[in-house]
Amino acid sequence: MSRYQSSAPTSTALLSRRHVLQGSAVLAFGAAGLSSSGARAAGGLVALVHTQAAGDNGPVDSMIAALKRLSSEKGFTMRAIYAQDAATYESIFRSLGDAGAAIVVSTFNEVADPIKAVAPSYPKTKFIQLFADPFQPAIPNVETVGYDYYLGCYLSGLFASRISKSGKIGYVGGMSLPALNADLNGLKAGAAAANPAIAVTGAFAGSFQDPAKGQEIASQMYQSGVDYIQTDSAATDTGIIQAANEGSGRMVSAIAKTQYKLGPKTVAAIVKLDFGLSLYQEVSKALEAGWIGHHLPTGIDTGVVDFELSDVFLKEGPADLVAKAKTIWPEIETAKKAIITGTVKVPLNTTL
Amino acid sequence: MSDILIAVLRSGTPLIYVALAGMLAQRAGVWHLGLEGLMIAGACAAAVGVEQTGSVAAGLALAVLVCVLGSTLLWFVVEKLRANPIIAGLGLTGLGLGGADLTVQSIYGSEASVTAGAGLPRLGDAFGAFGVLSVLVAAMPVVVLLLWVLLRRTRFGLRLAACGEHPFAARSVGVAPSRMRLIALMGGGVLCALGGAELALGTLQLFSNNMTAGRGFMAFAAVIFGGGHPIGSALAALFFSIVEAAGIKAQLVFGEKAPRDLLLALPYLATVIGVWISGRLRGGLKAAASGGELRDN
Repeated sequence: MSRYQSSAPTSTALLSRRHVLQGSAVLAFGAAGLSSSGARAAGGLVALVHTQAAGDNGPVDSMIAALKRLSSEKGFTMRAIYAQDAATYESIFRSLGDAGAAIVVSTFNEVADPIKAVAPSYPKTKFIQLFADPFQPAIPNVETVGYDYYLGCYLSGLFASRISKSGKIGYVGGMSLPALNADLNGLKAGAAAANPAIAVTGAFAGSFQDPAKGQEIASQMYQSGVDYIQTDSAATDTGIIQAANEGSGRMVSAIAKTQYKLGPKTVAAIVKLDFGLSLYQEVSKALEAGWIGHHLPTGIDTGVVDFELSDVFLKEGPADLVAKAKTIWPEIETAKKAIITGTVKVPLNTTL
Repeated sequence: MSDILIAVLRSGTPLIYVALAGMLAQRAGVWHLGLEGLMIAGACAAAVGVEQTGSVAAGLALAVLVCVLGSTLLWFVVEKLRANPIIAGLGLTGLGLGGADLTVQSIYGSEASVTAGAGLPRLGDAFGAFGVLSVLVAAMPVVVLLLWVLLRRTRFGLRLAACGEHPFAARSVGVAPSRMRLIALMGGGVLCALGGAELALGTLQLFSNNMTAGRGFMAFAAVIFGGGHPIGSALAALFFSIVEAAGIKAQLVFGEKAPRDLLLALPYLATVIGVWISGRLRGGLKAAASGGELRDN
């Protein structure tokens, strides 16, 4: 359920896996039953090519659910295609173009080059890339959507700085990528805005799918006095929440509401990125006549990116921390409004 | 200090069990590159077994069954179909990784993770801070010792070593190398199951795709680093865990000053250096270069 995925896998396991599963994405694509007749069904075909597995209780599941909902509302044919291997992205996009797909949605930066390569050849197919940087030059039938997730992390830092008893907070990311670096810097900026003396420790697990490593890192952080960790590492988050559950007074800010149940007494909040809502909004617009490709920055005023307090934590969390969270929250709301109105400027810094 | 020790034991125990499996295979003359696949299969089967039945024992039993079957398959392909064991091992790794994905998807309609809902029994409050560790952590030194006794102090162990080092000689005294390899690989399957189960159920109580994250290959490196000796392999695996824990600590302490990617790469760097040193000291590189198999006919 990662928001991000490295374009350069480092694990030897991934290397060997790639050889064995080389054609699996293409096979999955074929198994999806894509056909030209399906593509020309009422309203055309809208395809979601997701590069991370479904069943993540997070981004991919929410995108598939949103596409299904929109499909039933608008009457178009939909397909969700899991593309496991980067080597197959371009061929999948090309096959969808050949099949006459009306809209192709995909995610994360690793699909940028395949979309750039394919989109000009299929001008009638609209491509939407979620979690993307702007294309230079822009392509008329491509929309790229960026998210100001670091602003949510800024608010998380502000909250952490206020609620932390030890004055030490942490951050665990999947990999040191520009977007995640910006999140860590956002957290630091928010924490420092509330308390310049706060200590912020950042670490990266080197993987979005290694909960055991996440647990190790979080355990060491908590043992060093950190009492609040902002997660940013997809499936690795589970290990971080597990480490929080092993001690008292430990808090986590996660990335999806579905993580509340993993730590009802420890997952105090989330920095939300609602991919499903974003997909719903952008595909709805693309279905309208006159749509032209562009880059769309998505801020915390859209409902897609936000910092939210956990309602489960408010019911089941330690009484003192819950009371403190409730006291602090109006300040967070005020800061959120200040960012939206531009009164507070949070710098985007992608380097560490 | 106990915190660091707990972290090392927690991350090192799965690695040690799997390294012991690789060591058994290596003693029998098979360079086992299927450890990663068996480890992920064991982790997946253990989590699915517990989730489906609610019984940790059933989860463990399922993991053992799956890993022993996988090991038997490797033996069949290597011994009966005359495949190169290194290629066959890599195939087994692919089968394990892909099979785990497929299993989770077909049972749960999900492609990502399984929450087991229960884990291995913990040592408990009687062990103080170490009480958070699972019983498999406590059992690990005993298993290492038993394997050492088995391999160094019993007729079976000597025969197994003979099959690995001089299969012709073993056959000349009536020992069937093929059968000995089957036993070694099946025993290794049990150990891989324990390693996978410890990874998934030790403290996390969940299975996540690709959660082994190359640990099987590190275990293989530990076998070479440890010279194919049970205690040496266990110590090598423990060394890798110490380096990994140190890498995390270095990130937390020096993260602002040192390149994070370098700190993250420390365990893998240590693996390469360790294997190189081992090769220099024991001639391991020469053995590896021989093609990784010892045929007796």
